[in-house]
Amino acid sequence: MDKKYCAYICTGCGIGEALNIEELTKVVTSEMAMDCKDHSYLCGADGRAFIEKDMSENGVNTVTICACSPRVMQNEFNFGDDKITVRANLREQVIWSAGAAEEGKEDAHQEWLQETASDYVRMACARAKKTELPEPFQMETLNKEILVMGGGIAGMTAALEASKAGSKVTIVEKSDKLGGKALGWAKQFPTKLPYADLEPNSIGEMIAAVEADGNITVKTNTEVARIAGAPGDFGVTLKAAGSKSEWDAPAKVGVDEQDLISQGKMEDPNAGLRPYAEGNPDAQKFGDVVLATGWVPADVSEYTHLGYGTNEKVVTNAQFEKMAKDNQLSGINSVAFVMSPGGEEHDQDFPYCNSVTSMVALKQAKYVRENNADAKAYILYQHMRTPGHMELFYKGIQQDDGIFLTKAAVTSVVAAGTGCTVTAKDTLLGEELNLDVDLVVLAAGMVPTTKIENTINLAYRQGPAFLDLGLFDGYADSHFICFPYETRRTGIYTCGGVRKAMNMEETIDDATGAALKAIQCIESADRGVSVHPRSGDKTYPEFFMQRCTQCKRCTEECPFGALDDDAKGTPLPNPTRCRRCGTCMGACPERIIGFKDYNIDLIGSMLKSIEVPEDDEDKLRIVIFACENDAYPALDMAGMRRNKLNHMIRVVPVRCLGSVNMAWVRDLLSAGMDGAMLLGCKYGDDYQCHFVKGSEIASKRMENIGDSLSTLGLEPERVRSEQVSITEYDKIPQLINDFVDEIVDLGPNPFKGF
Amino acid sequence: MNVQPDLEFIKYLKSAGGDTLKKCYQCATCSVVCPLSTDTKPFPRKEMIWAQWGLKDKLVADPDVFLCHNCGDCTAYCPRGAKPGDVLGAIRAYAYTFYGWPSGLAKLASSSKGLPMLIAIPTVIIFVLWLVAGGISIPSAEHFAAHGYQQFFGHWNFHWLSKNVFIIDLIMLSAAGLAVVSAFKGVSSMWKGMEENAGIKSEFRPTVVQFVTEFLWPSVLEIVQHTRFRECKENLDRVQGHKPLMLSFIGLFIVTAWSATANDVLALIPALSFLHGPMSVWNPVKILANVSAVAMIVGIGILWMNRSRKEGENGVTPTFYDWFLIWEIMAVGVTGLLAEIARWAGLAGPGYIIYFIHLVSVMMLFLYMPYTKFAHLVYRTFAMAFERYRESAFGKNPINM
Repeated sequence: MDKKYCAYICTGCGIGEALNIEELTKVVTSEMAMDCKDHSYLCGADGRAFIEKDMSENGVNTVTICACSPRVMQNEFNFGDDKITVRANLREQVIWSAGAAEEGKEDAHQEWLQETASDYVRMACARAKKTELPEPFQMETLNKEILVMGGGIAGMTAALEASKAGSKVTIVEKSDKLGGKALGWAKQFPTKLPYADLEPNSIGEMIAAVEADGNITVKTNTEVARIAGAPGDFGVTLKAAGSKSEWDAPAKVGVDEQDLISQGKMEDPNAGLRPYAEGNPDAQKFGDVVLATGWVPADVSEYTHLGYGTNEKVVTNAQFEKMAKDNQLSGINSVAFVMSPGGEEHDQDFPYCNSVTSMVALKQAKYVRENNADAKAYILYQHMRTPGHMELFYKGIQQDDGIFLTKAAVTSVVAAGTGCTVTAKDTLLGEELNLDVDLVVLAAGMVPTTKIENTINLAYRQGPAFLDLGLFDGYADSHFICFPYETRRTGIYTCGGVRKAMNMEETIDDATGAALKAIQCIESADRGVSVHPRSGDKTYPEFFMQRCTQCKRCTEECPFGALDDDAKGTPLPNPTRCRRCGTCMGACPERIIGFKDYNIDLIGSMLKSIEVPEDDEDKLRIVIFACENDAYPALDMAGMRRNKLNHMIRVVPVRCLGSVNMAWVRDLLSAGMDGAMLLGCKYGDDYQCHFVKGSEIASKRMENIGDSLSTLGLEPERVRSEQVSITEYDKIPQLINDFVDEIVDLGPNPFKGF
Repeated sequence: MNVQPDLEFIKYLKSAGGDTLKKCYQCATCSVVCPLSTDTKPFPRKEMIWAQWGLKDKLVADPDVFLCHNCGDCTAYCPRGAKPGDVLGAIRAYAYTFYGWPSGLAKLASSSKGLPMLIAIPTVIIFVLWLVAGGISIPSAEHFAAHGYQQFFGHWNFHWLSKNVFIIDLIMLSAAGLAVVSAFKGVSSMWKGMEENAGIKSEFRPTVVQFVTEFLWPSVLEIVQHTRFRECKENLDRVQGHKPLMLSFIGLFIVTAWSATANDVLALIPALSFLHGPMSVWNPVKILANVSAVAMIVGIGILWMNRSRKEGENGVTPTFYDWFLIWEIMAVGVTGLLAEIARWAGLAGPGYIIYFIHLVSVMMLFLYMPYTKFAHLVYRTFAMAFERYRESAFGKNPINM
């Protein structure tokens, strides 16, 4: 595309009053060699027409909008797919962040402000010059069928919902019939007002609906051996349940392990298996996968004071459900439901409970009562969790004369006579309780299958299972709170018990959501755009393979496992697996990875365009690489609140801190700038990084660059990595000021002027 | 504590006005709003869970159950509609039956099913005595004017004890005597249970005088003054009904005591024989009697309206336990007043029939006192005495004080 540039400066919102527009125009026309025009109201209909006129009459196709933050007015400044728009943030991060001038420094203040605005305009123009129109990645073939793993409530609901939306679906079920755990339920929770009575198990109706659905293929007694490929083109090898296959997904073998194996010091875990990168010609093609492999009842024998495993009168809720289903409750006249292991240290419920076991105990107490009108059911809880409408269910159960509820810490269960004696303290009755009961039921939780096995069996370079951050007790990693369903494997969406302990109603909602995400993902792959969180992004990373040194950093660091590699270690990109975070670009020491509108050269040119004044301690230049997801909006918010940002900083937005290539930091320091800060999302236990690992990886890289700076004779303190959450906009000015003060103390960069 | 919930007990409470008891989720709003609840011994939250768990033995010996004046503040503020006030009422109803002796009679008085029998017993007794003693004769107008109802049961020429007094004493004293014995037994076992629950080992006991002056009398004074009753916020109107009613009972007690003394003791002295016969309307005692009778009807009328309103507006469950006492007292008041009016009007026939009903209703009041809501008269008084006792030196371990 022949680019014809023009920059437009908006003088509205106070920009025209705060800045010398004439000088700014001169910066564009002389330094950046572009046409430049100004308008008092660019985002209005008039302003837009003003730009569109240039486009139609003068053939302008690349515009630099010097106005408000790129986060606002996106539709107003969207001129279509064949035009490039770059924004300079003069409003939020320049004039709104200017603050008031110090006494006697009014002139200097005005000068600094004008310099800042000029630099932002320079950077935007530089960016416009380097940006190219993206062309979406098109797959050769695209398969739209959805694979649903697991034929329980979650899997069947996902299949039915996807089918209703017109998708073809295959359900793979390990056992010999559909239904999953729900087959074993004597009765189910109420689903409609007044949420009072237990309902007959309705799983049969759902199974019938699935079997009658022409869009759904059901494969029972079947397992997934391996899933290879990428969204839109997954190659899935199926096998008979419980059997072994040469196509089973191989375990990840690192370089060190491979050495040991070749020296014969370690057994090859993948002996007899096909390599992960080998394609199975007989594999069935799918667009993407809904993982609904559910849960297994937790083992509660570790709580020895409750006697599970040694006392046959102590059973789990899963076992009790089976007893009820098989009509084995005769002679049971009193049951204690123990919801929490109790003990001195904490009042937590059994692990993997969420709110489900509360409701199961209420349901099972009703079984006891319905079986025998004189029977008594005791529910000893630490937490009674009955969300939503289930509060009505709780209220209804509470009405039963023979169901007794109390908060209690159960201290022991001992065999006594034909039953057990349960002892509990800290009860609502104000004293310790001894209950003589026929049976004790422990509220065991629902352990996700992902905790126990690979489940998803991916033939990926990063291994067959989901990566485990160790934060979610074995549930599939994702940005758990903000983005349900997402996993760290694009095109694989979890729902039901594998994602969270949930009841039937929640599972149905959850599976419906997962089906929607699966359809979305295939459609995005079809259009060649990214899925969440950069939904709709048409760019994708392009590799200049001739210069690749097979260092494997990109394949190792990709948080989504998008890159496979060949035997030599050359990366094999899978664009539809990619989330476009750019972590590979940040990792690459050869700087051969880039996007059409975001690459090493582009950001490098922006940095180079910043004017670096010499010998002026009041005009140091410190670059802040701010993550577009949280840090950049937080900076905007600081501006909206008119919080003053230091005049020596220049903010460069980045897709993710993971995409920050250390070459930029080295280059800007050698260009005489005085410091660099990486401002990204929180990582660690409560990580908020949209790409899971970006800010963490960036911090590690920054530690390493510190070492190489000191060999250059530069203080490692000139670079720093910081994390903020989006709500910490009020802390950012201080955070920046502290860093600037330290740089000022260190003095100007000794390389200045070279 | 080994817990054995009593399902029958829960069922009873639900049938006797406590149908909402299972709704309680132990937020303790009731204990906070209750004007009578104390910081150290709060109620009725704990009573609610004891009731939910069917812990009968704890509840019948729980002084707090009887301290409750059923003002309804807790019920008004309960976020779950569990109506703690009504539940406590039901527990009290159960307790009176539980302590009642003989238990058959107590059981009979506990539900509306027993109502025909409850009316039949005094009706038959009085009718038979009337039949046997007086032959059921309606007197002439002159006779009625001269003697009123004093020869209802006929007349004999035994100077020291008139036939009428003999028979009325026979009926009423036995009924009251039975009630007193039953109440004494009930209160004793309640007291024992309360002592046990409070962990009081009675190594030291107060003397009777000490007990009366230090514990019982202050409680009686408090009751008469309605000190606690006035702390209620929701149903302060009930004080307007209960106070005249209670004073009318005291008034009528004085009138009855005076009448008995004047008629049957003082009048034996020949010089004072004018004390025989119906009193003049302007006799101070008669004035007290008439004022009390009116106060009784007004008082019970207010309580009647109050309860009807509460049932209409606040959804308070109507119970036999509450209404029986209201009807009974209303019957006593109305028949008493009507009988007097009949006498003034010289209507011997209707007068005698009304007087008969009056006797029946009075006997019911006496006879069933320990088993019906009327029992609060003794149980609450002693619970309040126990509260003082519990806080006194007797209620504490004297060694570790």
